[in-house]
Amino acid sequence: MQTPIATTRSATGIPTGRLAIWWLVASEIVIFGGLLLSYVMHRIGHPEWAIAQAHTHTFVGAFNTFVLLTASFTAVKGHEAAEKGDGKRAAKFLYLTMGGACLFILVKSLEWTSEILEGFTIQANGFWAFYYTAAGLHALHVIAGAIVIFFVARDAAKGRNLQRVEYVGIYWHFVDIIWIFLFPLLYIAK
Amino acid sequence: MSEQDRDTHQHHPDYTKIYVALVILLIISVVGTFSGILWITFIMAFGVAVVKATLVAENFMHLKWEKVVAKWVLGISLVLMLLFFAGVSPDIMKDRGLQWVNNADLAATARGIPDEEEPGKGAPASAAESAKAAAPTQTAAAAPAAAPFNPETTFKTVCAACHGPEGEGNGPGAAALNPKPANFTDPAFWTDKTDSILEKAIRQGGASVGKSSAMPAWGSILTEAQAKQMVAYLHTLKGK
Repeated sequence: MQTPIATTRSATGIPTGRLAIWWLVASEIVIFGGLLLSYVMHRIGHPEWAIAQAHTHTFVGAFNTFVLLTASFTAVKGHEAAEKGDGKRAAKFLYLTMGGACLFILVKSLEWTSEILEGFTIQANGFWAFYYTAAGLHALHVIAGAIVIFFVARDAAKGRNLQRVEYVGIYWHFVDIIWIFLFPLLYIAK
Repeated sequence: MSEQDRDTHQHHPDYTKIYVALVILLIISVVGTFSGILWITFIMAFGVAVVKATLVAENFMHLKWEKVVAKWVLGISLVLMLLFFAGVSPDIMKDRGLQWVNNADLAATARGIPDEEEPGKGAPASAAESAKAAAPTQTAAAAPAAAPFNPETTFKTVCAACHGPEGEGNGPGAAALNPKPANFTDPAFWTDKTDSILEKAIRQGGASVGKSSAMPAWGSILTEAQAKQMVAYLHTLKGK
């Protein structure tokens, strides 16, 4: 397959594809940064949210943090393999990352189901509104990541577009970082 | 893959070590919650989050070895976001000013409290109802949604969030507050409070009587008569 010229041309010293990922991450900083800071501000202004927050499951959140950290680890191992030109090994690691994403979403679905059945819906009050909005937007990013990782891994297994293993990894690590902040905000600082 | 790509990305630290460090940090942040001490929990949770995020960004995202222009792209976005946030936050942090009250925010506060039954919607209570309200048999949780105004229920569902179910100033919200919410069981509290001061504090907020602005103004939700009933209820907590 002919590699398009844009993936190699670069005025910044960064390959164009990777630069594009950095721009994507920059836009995500604005989205999640604004959302998380708004949460912090409202949480400080509403001490009574502590009552609602007491219902979040710390261990479920901690388990999901562990899942995402592990998925990040396998993503970066995939990157390492891709740089050595070992597409098959890179694909294996990426499939593990994808599995981590699926496990994360599964745990989150069970967690949300139990919370919604207890009556804690997005409309219950300000805390739950933030809870479902922030974690929900993050979960959408996890799902999007899993889908993209699947296509990148399928290509990598055939030795194609190995540079994309790194690019999708950068995105994935960022999704991990968002959760690293969401976890203490929603589950620990009660 | 270009040449630049090759030469900036030869760096592969020992990812396993970093991964183990991240997992240990995660365990530390969870263990911190068991201390029960607020500042330890916060340092454990947020300090650890910053360290974890830095480890991931530097080593997994390879920011440590990335060209400076990528750091500028991220840094400028972060700074602009913070600038925007700092610009709008003062308006959002306040729920009232000299000439205005944000009723939606007060209503949101009320919604944040479990088993809230929108006391403002009930008809003004009669003397008979207020006598009934004083009966200790009625519990807050069992009160039906359409119940008439009941000061005890209102106290236990709304005020108790900060003032505590028994009015001792030790509700779940109290931990985050400084100064602490009033303790109505403390005789010292009653030495300098007249009923009119208390009614004003309830309807116009703590700041209106020179007390903490964390005490919201409930005037848009509680009528004057209901505020009077609330004060009467507070008297029953005295010296309990």
